[in-house]
Amino acid sequence: MTPGEMLIGGIGLLVAAAALFWPDRGLLARIRAAKLRTDQVRVEDALKHLYDQESKGLTCTLDSIARELGFPSKDDTSLVARLETIGLLTRQGNVFRLTPEGRSYALRIIRVHRLWERYLADETTVSESDWHIEAEKQEHLITAEEAAALDRRLGHPAYDPHGDPIPSDSGELPEVAWKTLTSLKEGEAAGIVHIEDEPPAHYAQLVAQGFYPGLQVRMIEQTSERITVEANGNEIALAPVLAANLSVVPLPAGEQKAGSFRTLASLRPGERGVVSGISPACRGLQRRRLMDLGVVPGGVIESEMNSVTGDPVAYSIRGATIALRRQQAEMVFIEEIEGRE
Amino acid sequence: MAYPEQCEICPVNRGSKLVKLGETSDSTDYVIALAGNPNVGKSTVFNNLTGLRQHTGNWPGKTVTRAEGAFSYDGSNYKVVDLPGTYSLMSTSTDEEVARDFILFGRPDVAVVVMDATRLERNLNLVLQVLEITDKAVVCVNLVDEAERKGITIDDRSLARELGVPVVLTAARIGRGIPELLRSIRDVATGALVCKPRRGWTEDKKVKSALDELVALIGPEYPGLPNVRWVALRLLEGDQRIIDAIRSGELKSLALRGEHGEEVISRGKE
Amino acid sequence: MSQNVQAKAESIITRARGLRWQVGEAFHDRAIEALYEEATHIAGRSVTISGERPRFNFDRTLDRLLTSRWTGFPIMVLLLAAVFWITIELANIPSKMIAGLLLDTVHPALKEFGTWIQMPSWLSGLLFDGMYLAAAWVISVMLPPMAIFFPMFTLLEDFGYLPRVAFNLDFLFRKAGAHGKQALTMVMGYGCNAAGVVAARIIDSPRERLIAIITNNFSICNGRWPTQILIATIFIGALAPPQLAGVVSALAVVSVVLIGVFFMFMVSWGLSRTVLRGEGSTFSLELPPYRPPRILQTLYTSVIDRTLIVLWRAVVWAVPAGALIWLVSNIHIGGRSIAEIVVGGLDPVGMLIGLNGVILLAYIIAIPANEIVIPTVLMLTVLVAKMTGVGGGSGVMFELDSAEATASVLQAGGWTVLTGVNLMLFSLLHNPCSTTIYTIYKETGSAKWTTVATLLPVVLGLVVCFLVAQVWRMVG
Repeated sequence: MTPGEMLIGGIGLLVAAAALFWPDRGLLARIRAAKLRTDQVRVEDALKHLYDQESKGLTCTLDSIARELGFPSKDDTSLVARLETIGLLTRQGNVFRLTPEGRSYALRIIRVHRLWERYLADETTVSESDWHIEAEKQEHLITAEEAAALDRRLGHPAYDPHGDPIPSDSGELPEVAWKTLTSLKEGEAAGIVHIEDEPPAHYAQLVAQGFYPGLQVRMIEQTSERITVEANGNEIALAPVLAANLSVVPLPAGEQKAGSFRTLASLRPGERGVVSGISPACRGLQRRRLMDLGVVPGGVIESEMNSVTGDPVAYSIRGATIALRRQQAEMVFIEEIEGRE
Repeated sequence: MAYPEQCEICPVNRGSKLVKLGETSDSTDYVIALAGNPNVGKSTVFNNLTGLRQHTGNWPGKTVTRAEGAFSYDGSNYKVVDLPGTYSLMSTSTDEEVARDFILFGRPDVAVVVMDATRLERNLNLVLQVLEITDKAVVCVNLVDEAERKGITIDDRSLARELGVPVVLTAARIGRGIPELLRSIRDVATGALVCKPRRGWTEDKKVKSALDELVALIGPEYPGLPNVRWVALRLLEGDQRIIDAIRSGELKSLALRGEHGEEVISRGKE
Repeated sequence: MSQNVQAKAESIITRARGLRWQVGEAFHDRAIEALYEEATHIAGRSVTISGERPRFNFDRTLDRLLTSRWTGFPIMVLLLAAVFWITIELANIPSKMIAGLLLDTVHPALKEFGTWIQMPSWLSGLLFDGMYLAAAWVISVMLPPMAIFFPMFTLLEDFGYLPRVAFNLDFLFRKAGAHGKQALTMVMGYGCNAAGVVAARIIDSPRERLIAIITNNFSICNGRWPTQILIATIFIGALAPPQLAGVVSALAVVSVVLIGVFFMFMVSWGLSRTVLRGEGSTFSLELPPYRPPRILQTLYTSVIDRTLIVLWRAVVWAVPAGALIWLVSNIHIGGRSIAEIVVGGLDPVGMLIGLNGVILLAYIIAIPANEIVIPTVLMLTVLVAKMTGVGGGSGVMFELDSAEATASVLQAGGWTVLTGVNLMLFSLLHNPCSTTIYTIYKETGSAKWTTVATLLPVVLGLVVCFLVAQVWRMVG
């Protein structure tokens, strides 16, 4: 070997060693951090599960935690033991309870999760089915300061897009008086306030069937096999196991909406109608802009003219001519439709 | 004031006592905020008052930056701040924040809201929001010439009665109504005319009780605040700017100024 | 502030937070609803509308005509074509006059003045051949078309026609994840990319506005039109029989424009689905009533607001570029000028992508203004090939009176048809000029998006030129 080659070899070795052992940035340090992080994720997921069960009035056992987190209960035992020693939970026999510290920790995680979902829903175009998945990741990564900044930026939202209240930064959460859809009697009407986003397959199906927070439904029939409700003038049938994932608040008799649910997109040029509502699927920036333009319940909108290809369409809204795309017009419900006078 | 003597001579300005000062003036007696929806001829009104030439395109959202100008009328110097054109002051776009912040925290002596006479209903949205924030406002219904061509007549007296502030009909493109606008601005600025703006539209029960509760909390704490109900409403909306203003005491100083209104009016004269 | 007051403030904020859960989500909507209700009520009492509405019908009839299936597009194409045609036809005259004055009269006079006051020749070269000439070139190429194009565009805008164009073309842009108003910023870009970037302000949705800004460079600006026309005439028109040469070279330029449109749509589509996927997006397009434009005011404001500001920025950037061009051609290291050394170094890379070292160097030092690319290319070609009798000496940019003379210089510099084709492509697909880069930074306030907007087209250009060169060499 020439001295030159030795020099190059030496430098190569040094670089490799640095890459491996460099504090914080090196490979080993990263692996250690990743392991710590998955540990943290487990702790946090376990706390969330405990909180969830407790708020439903259920008790938590080792088995339920293992099922929820999906790993062998041997690991579980040590995890739970650790949680106990750092004072996040107490144990009575086989039943676990969160301590106040544990509960506030869990609420912090839930707050970040719901804030992030709110952010995705309002400020981005990330699809609805990805909100929960993304939030599951972010809830473990975001620091308290980042969460506070996000909260400020979003204008301190009180609810997440699924209708769940977002805990305040001091860990307060309001009591909710929700019932499940299955508890409704025949003929009773209610507004959907929350759709449980787990398991994701159930959530996706409910969304696909057209349920959203704010939707008003009326119970038509309830048997042990299926539940039939009326919503937006349509009958929707669903399995009881799905219906149990829908939380509702019963409506007093006077507040029920009736009437047609045609959308703005169905207006032909020259026809006019009165706005009866904007779909809750239209959120954040989209919704604000529509309302600023004067698309507000009670307002009269007339379809003015089509563009060359028929999309967008220009509407006459409170004296101004404003073009909207079909996808937007489909989110605006109208009634009392009439032709041009 | 550097050149009123010369301008006084020309017949156009002698009658109206208006001296356009362009971009700068030495001292300012009163600050005027110019608000309005996009594309209502706000820039034309601005140019008409100050003699500046801001571009006025037939495009919503043309004026992006905040422009300032000045004029002198009836012996006092006025600074005009042209705010970005916005549809409302409620949502959270930067433009709306700039406009809202100036009307609230900038404490202009008069907020002039420019409206499009052909779309009065749409424009009233912003007017009502401005009136929620400030007592001292003048409504300028612009483009009346265009409205007349379309067969639209605006009853300015009825509108003034409904809104509780002076209403002036103008066609700024041809200079119509500008003298009346100036007179109203002066009257409101000097306090010769005290506005009683329309406030408090209907709220449903749940919101009303929440608002009442907040008003009862805020009112005694900030006497002299002209818009307690609006502040309460913004708090319910989770408006960060207002939360910050409460925390930092900025709102307190606004309230204190409101209590000693006279001092506020005479500021800038020294 | 006293402790007590602070505590009181906090208690108000906390209580408000609690009440927000109680009033629920729909509260904001209801507040706006109530506001509009109030507005309707007040308007109903103060506004009377008489039955006759003559102007209204005029607007409606015009709208029918401009947005109908059969007449909408033909009218649009005719109007825009007319704007371009008038610009090109009218701009030629003042362009020649200004060039005659600034380049052929003032420049020699300045040089004489330099000799008269016994200025050292390097200083007179740097000041007059470098800095002055670059600035003069930019003014004579840029000012006349902009001073004609922008007022006409502004007149259409003030009249209210442009929103209708956006309305008609939105379907294309929607598919690419962009906003119909991007059609207008694009057309504006054919005048000047910096002005096009500023015009993107009319797009009020964050994602679509960024897309419009980043893709504006795919509209060839007026600094690039002359390059396209000249090279198309020399290399592509010459391939056709003489009587068809004009048509063929015009078609070549139109093809480059269409390739630009194609890339604009593809890049918009790609951006909206990748890096900009999460950005907020919304659509609204107000179609204002038609208003008679005020011609004089429009002339004034569009010349002041758009033309002169953009021109000033371009001149400010062109002056140091001119100095740099003069310096690299006149500073010698080991008997060769820096320009020759760099061109020699860049040549292999240039050849690989079907261009040459001269073109690459010209694009590097002419970043400030596309207008001076061709003069710089000619000067460098003469310099490197050590031709005599052409041009004004090393570091002095020049242009030749006829396309034939230019062709002979370029061919002597080793140019082929491939070089010509790739130069046209590279002129379309390269980084924006420094004025535009600066404007993008000012408008987005983001170094990240400025970098993307700068590097994306140049990388595309290198890739496209490389592929064309490989295919060309395989086939030919």
